[in-house]
Amino acid sequence: MASAPPTATTQYIQADDSDDDLNDEDIPGFGAGTPLLDTPDKGKGRVPDHLASPGIPPPVVSGNINSSGNPSKSPARQSFGGVQIETRYGGIDTLDEPITATIGRDLLSIYNKLVQVLYPIRKGSSREVLRDWDLWGPLILCLMLGILLSVNAPKDQSLGVFTSVIVIVCVGALVVTIQAKLLGGRVSFFQGLCALGYCVAPLDIAALVSCFVRVIYVRAPVAILAWAWCIWASANFLDGTKIDPQRILLAVYPLLLFYFILAWMILIQ
Amino acid sequence: MAYVAVESDERLEEGDSKVFAQPPEGNIGDRSPRESQGRGYISDAANASFWNVDYYQHHFDVDTKTVIFRCINTLNPFSPTYTSAHLTPAPDLYGPFWSLTTLIFTLFVTSSLAHSVVSYLSSSPVEYDFALLSTAVGLVYAYGIGVPVMLWGVLRYIGISEGWAMGEAVTVWGYGMFVWIPVSILCIIPIALFRWILVGIGFAVSGYFLVANIYPVLLSADQKPVRLLIVLIAVLHAVVALLFKVLFFSYYIETNIGPTDPVANNVMARMVP
Repeated sequence: MASAPPTATTQYIQADDSDDDLNDEDIPGFGAGTPLLDTPDKGKGRVPDHLASPGIPPPVVSGNINSSGNPSKSPARQSFGGVQIETRYGGIDTLDEPITATIGRDLLSIYNKLVQVLYPIRKGSSREVLRDWDLWGPLILCLMLGILLSVNAPKDQSLGVFTSVIVIVCVGALVVTIQAKLLGGRVSFFQGLCALGYCVAPLDIAALVSCFVRVIYVRAPVAILAWAWCIWASANFLDGTKIDPQRILLAVYPLLLFYFILAWMILIQ
Repeated sequence: MAYVAVESDERLEEGDSKVFAQPPEGNIGDRSPRESQGRGYISDAANASFWNVDYYQHHFDVDTKTVIFRCINTLNPFSPTYTSAHLTPAPDLYGPFWSLTTLIFTLFVTSSLAHSVVSYLSSSPVEYDFALLSTAVGLVYAYGIGVPVMLWGVLRYIGISEGWAMGEAVTVWGYGMFVWIPVSILCIIPIALFRWILVGIGFAVSGYFLVANIYPVLLSADQKPVRLLIVLIAVLHAVVALLFKVLFFSYYIETNIGPTDPVANNVMARMVP
């Protein structure tokens, strides 16, 4: 039977027995459509008005295999079995370029984020500072710190020192991020990890200096300065998470502890 | 037309209807357990599962001054809110957890400071013991979190204390250990008697806080022998205090008495093949 081209007002036609020429995809509204993205923390920290408007149009999530369509650089959130997963989408076809270009781009992005975290710009756009989070930078910084500290440790303890540093950085960043979320801050989990990892960078510099300079009167001020810089950089990040001002000290205190223990380990090398 | 399930509708139907209600109030009187301190935070604790961060949010519903007040209150046994400050309006987990963590770091830092002070005074080279940090972590977390959970489990098994939440147990232990932080800072001073006195004071203050808070719970049991548990708690506390002293505060100045013995060093050198 002749099928009219489906328009926006086409109703769902009861299927005949002879519906071989009826293409399911041509019927508007047929099929699941785009699933609503799961946002389990929708209610947290927001005023009641938000919950009163359920009709939020689902954001378009389109991932094309040939990747010539929408190059979206923002992290896409999906829900997989109730667990929120954030993934990044490069937007460019990275299969054919030379390796130096790939690595160079990643290194450049790490460097950019490092600069953003350590010298935050005070203008308005700085709140978008780490939308494009990655965990390579924190990994490199953490490993560097571990290596620098364990190289100068007593021989039988160098493995222990390396392990402690890695564990402290990883677990510390995790705990501080979760703590900030629990205190009511609106921070994305991986963004928090990323920012806290990058803020370890001044301690790397202090560790480098401490590797070569043995005089305590140089190492102590450098370590303290690096610690203060770390705190300042990460407090800037926490500022953007909109924690209640009466609790902001509760959120900053774990940072103080976390960076202090690392600075202490640098000092007592 | 197909129907698309709108998840937000399900959320609206269940849960607290206070969500749409009045604007956040500052009154302490009509604070609902869900609406945290009238600030406009609506916790999704009803909808959250065990693995979701929101499930724990109401345990962290405190301000800076509340935490500081609760910590300082454990130091003063004569304060009127000694057994109730950490429970009103609700026990929190922030204070205990960070108290324990601060204690760990303080023990490690002051121990290594004591070590370096002592080495400087006795002019011998310093080798820091980083394993102390992992020892501190294990000991403090096991005692500060493991023991209250075990005690709570035992009391639940016996059948008393239906109203004593695990959070309250951990809160008591966590705040009780707060006194060890100033004690360990003062223990940098390498005088043996001074250190023992300090450790004794720390044991007394924190032990009394524990006993004052736990004994009423034990009293609510029907069986008399349950009260002997308090003895067990006191003994455990004494053991932990001793461990703190021995593991972390044992650096003393060594001075040579008399001339150095030229034979002893060589004997060891010859015995090693």
